[in-house]
Amino acid sequence: MKPILECQGLTKKYNNFYALSNLNLTLDRGQIIGLLGPNGSGKTTLIKLINGLLTPTDGRVMINSLAPGAETKKLVSYLPERSYLNDHMRVEEILSYFVDFYDNFDLERARKMLHDLEIDTNSRLRTLSKGTKEKVQLVLVMSRDAELYILDEPIGGVDPAARDYILRTILTNYNENATILLSTHLITDIENVLDRVLFIQNGQLSLNASVDEIRTKEGKSVDALFREVFRC
Amino acid sequence: MPWDLDNDRPIYLQLMERIQQDIIAGIYNPGDKLPSVRDLALDASVNPNTMQKALSELERSGLVYSQRTSGRFITEDETMLKKMKKDLASEHIHQFFEKMKLLGFGDEEILELIQETIKEEK
Amino acid sequence: MLGKLIKYDLKYGAKLFIILHALLLLASILGRIFFLEKIDFNADSNTLLTSLGLFISIYLLLFTAVCFGVMLLLAIRFYKNLFTDEGYLTWTLPATPNQQLWAKIISGTIWYAIDIMLYSLCLVILVTGKNVTTAFAKIAPEVTESLGMPLSRYSLYMLIFLLISCIGSVIMIYSCVAIGQLFPGHRVLCSVIAYIIISTVIQIFTFIIMAVLGIFPNGHNYVVGTSGNVGHYLITVFKASGALFLITTAIEYAATHYIMNKKVNLI
Repeated sequence: MKPILECQGLTKKYNNFYALSNLNLTLDRGQIIGLLGPNGSGKTTLIKLINGLLTPTDGRVMINSLAPGAETKKLVSYLPERSYLNDHMRVEEILSYFVDFYDNFDLERARKMLHDLEIDTNSRLRTLSKGTKEKVQLVLVMSRDAELYILDEPIGGVDPAARDYILRTILTNYNENATILLSTHLITDIENVLDRVLFIQNGQLSLNASVDEIRTKEGKSVDALFREVFRC
Repeated sequence: MPWDLDNDRPIYLQLMERIQQDIIAGIYNPGDKLPSVRDLALDASVNPNTMQKALSELERSGLVYSQRTSGRFITEDETMLKKMKKDLASEHIHQFFEKMKLLGFGDEEILELIQETIKEEK
Repeated sequence: MLGKLIKYDLKYGAKLFIILHALLLLASILGRIFFLEKIDFNADSNTLLTSLGLFISIYLLLFTAVCFGVMLLLAIRFYKNLFTDEGYLTWTLPATPNQQLWAKIISGTIWYAIDIMLYSLCLVILVTGKNVTTAFAKIAPEVTESLGMPLSRYSLYMLIFLLISCIGSVIMIYSCVAIGQLFPGHRVLCSVIAYIIISTVIQIFTFIIMAVLGIFPNGHNYVVGTSGNVGHYLITVFKASGALFLITTAIEYAATHYIMNKKVNLI
């Protein structure tokens, strides 16, 4: 099977600053992968390049052997770190928007999750709290039967109870051929659900190893290793 | 309820230990069917692939066997279960001895202390 | 996909669009009832000119404001939907950049065309009252002679020309917004600057072409000229500006197409 994601010499330059430089990476299917790195290390830049929201300065990124485009966008379900929904819309309208545009959107699943989280689908988005909006977005993203889920800081702004629900959601909906790439700085909370972690440092990949490899080799948790590698 | 796991040891090892514990504690009886990987992973709040690895390791040790279509079962081999119990016991004893030695006790002293404790508890 | 995109684009901001035009329609009905139907066309020409001049200025201002509003609405929709946070959703829909662009062009042109038809409707509402038609009947032959055609046909030509030009106006707006995106940090400012530069360049070319063809709009000669002059002038202007229009629109489209395919960088 083709790898779900391949980056070759991927470089993104803003003026004179290299947000990513010559990054090489291959991700196989059926894994939950943590993308870890301090602020400004290039995590979001990499994610935006995979989604075609940025144009690479050099190198290339391939999803299922295709450059980002209409075809890859069917395969990728992306949760950005910001609110990307039109505030005037009702949750119900957003649901039909997703049904209209994504063939792999599972409306039943979305309704069930919104119900579990006690979100009224008739309310307009602007009347919801920041955390609730984040939950709505996550529900939308996780309700697609995608091959690659890219979640940028999915648990950043929500309370611990919701965080548990979200992690369970990820585990419940996880299909064994799908890959989840998840960027976060709250490592302890999610360490047990990860197969593999990627450390990004100054726009380059500094570590690509499985969680249990790290624990066996270093005798410490990924969180402890992260604190050591990225000590200020 | 997520399982209580340590931070510094491989997760799959801890999952294996936990399932062994559950067998000894009688949560699973010999011949019982284990829940699916996905359900176990959800219950433990861990990655399904890690749970899969733990179960494969248990299978390799013979404690768990799988039937192609119907899932994974606990072995009914009593000697195997006894051996596992004994292995775990000796592991605990070793750990205990190590700690006691760190406190400066010799083998004789340790034995005396154990006998005293047993008497007190009676 | 294109159809779905157009559907959602037409919905986007439709409320404001409807309110703007409802106000304009209301103003036209009021203008007809309370001004044009009350005015005495036989009054002293000085008073007539003053009050009519004032009325026309107010309406011109109103029409310009609504026209500007629609342009702004189109520009904002294009900008917000593609280049702000909402762009994170728009650009991750399974659509090609060309589908996105054409959805915006088609929906924008539909809006613009509706806008122009509503202006025409407002004008019709304003001038078809009995008072005005009676007054106009007296000068109709004169007007027909100087236009070289009846006023109704002249208006129809104007309307068709404006409707065709819709697509060009829409593409021009989008190209300005798209060019602005090349300058992160000053996106809105650079869009406005692009607009000023493009419209200035177009005006200079229009001026040059008019001068070359000898159809410089020295209106005075034409209005009281011999029969057919204005009509002839009109057709020539349509042809010349049509050609210019086609060229500039093609360039603007190519630029927008290139930016949307190769230069998208959401911050």
